[in-house]
Amino acid sequence: MDDTRSTRREFIHGAIRLGGGALVVLSGTALAAEEHPAERYDWEAHRYAYLIDTTKCIGCGSCVRACAAENAVPDGFYRTWVERYVLSAEGSHVDSPNGGKDGFPPIETGFLPTKSFFVPKMCNHCKETPCIQVCPVGASYRTKEGVVMVDGDRCIGCGYCVQACPFGSRFLSPVTHTAEKCTWCYHRITKGLKPACVTVCPTGTRQFGDMMRDDDPVRQAIEHERVSVMQPHLLTEPQCFYIGLDKEVR
Amino acid sequence: MEHARHVFRIIFVLLLALVAFVLGRTLLVPKSYGMYGPYRFDNVAEQAAIRPPLHGGAASCADCHDDKSKKVAAGVHKHVSCEICHGPLGLHVKDGDVVAKMAIERSFTLCARCHRKIEGRPDKFPQVVLEQHVQQMGPTKLEGKVCLECHDPHSPKL
Repeated sequence: MDDTRSTRREFIHGAIRLGGGALVVLSGTALAAEEHPAERYDWEAHRYAYLIDTTKCIGCGSCVRACAAENAVPDGFYRTWVERYVLSAEGSHVDSPNGGKDGFPPIETGFLPTKSFFVPKMCNHCKETPCIQVCPVGASYRTKEGVVMVDGDRCIGCGYCVQACPFGSRFLSPVTHTAEKCTWCYHRITKGLKPACVTVCPTGTRQFGDMMRDDDPVRQAIEHERVSVMQPHLLTEPQCFYIGLDKEVR
Repeated sequence: MEHARHVFRIIFVLLLALVAFVLGRTLLVPKSYGMYGPYRFDNVAEQAAIRPPLHGGAASCADCHDDKSKKVAAGVHKHVSCEICHGPLGLHVKDGDVVAKMAIERSFTLCARCHRKIEGRPDKFPQVVLEQHVQQMGPTKLEGKVCLECHDPHSPKL
């Protein structure tokens, strides 16, 4: 009898150990938190936001050119682009020749415009973004600082995210055949620089800021001025804020 | 006895499946996957080091071209970064050494990107209808460095 009991006890002990071991393996990899690998950079100390004052934009396209050069964006594809809206009660005209990369030409509209303006566009780095939800392989993700990025090694190029983005901010690269998008120049901001588009903007239309810094001008503007976001009814909580958006802008 | 053998067979098969699952998962799931969410955390570092920054900003140009920087800073083009017209710093300097000459574009198309009068620009921004403006000023052809004949791009006088 004693022998049987001890065997049963051993069996249960063994089973618990085995189960525990299996759980550790199943729960994924290391549980311990690791520091952000970029040197002298704490990703928990930042929460980035972007401000676009459309009333200042002159449509020079410097941002589009800088973005393309900085991020080796293939020709015909855009991580950021500029749209021109020419409007009146009679009609509307919206264009973005080559994404605004070479500036804008004079145009003839069939109506007398009553207002016209430029709207720079890019990834809105939404808090509740559909592009991450639809990714079947965990290639799209949002960092602690609030940057939405694509892991090119994981991406299988299915294009679900390209379709899911309500702002048209993503594309499948003909070079890598994976989804690409604005990263707020993650290789720059982790070194304390501004994104390339903000660096070159001559009018202060594009501003990049940190919501964790009290004295940050972008945070001040977002907190004290009347800002809006693109397509708020979709509840994606964009982190690109706009000044001077029009009802015609989608 | 016959029944017990059935049970052992099933347990054996299930254990085999479990081992295959655990082994497969360990091999297939990337090392840093799931540390902070359903993504590969190593990619964050990869993205941060994806390439060296190409644009340096106007301040970096002043390291070598202090005279030009001061001139620009004193004029109405003080907010116009050098790299807008001359291209990114990274094509000019690598690791502290000059690797290529900066582009110098003198054509009116460069100036036109900002200053040609087109629909869309804010009214207060200085714009000209190039054809009219150039005719008023004397020359008749819209080519070459027609703007630079009168305006210094580093500190244009209006």
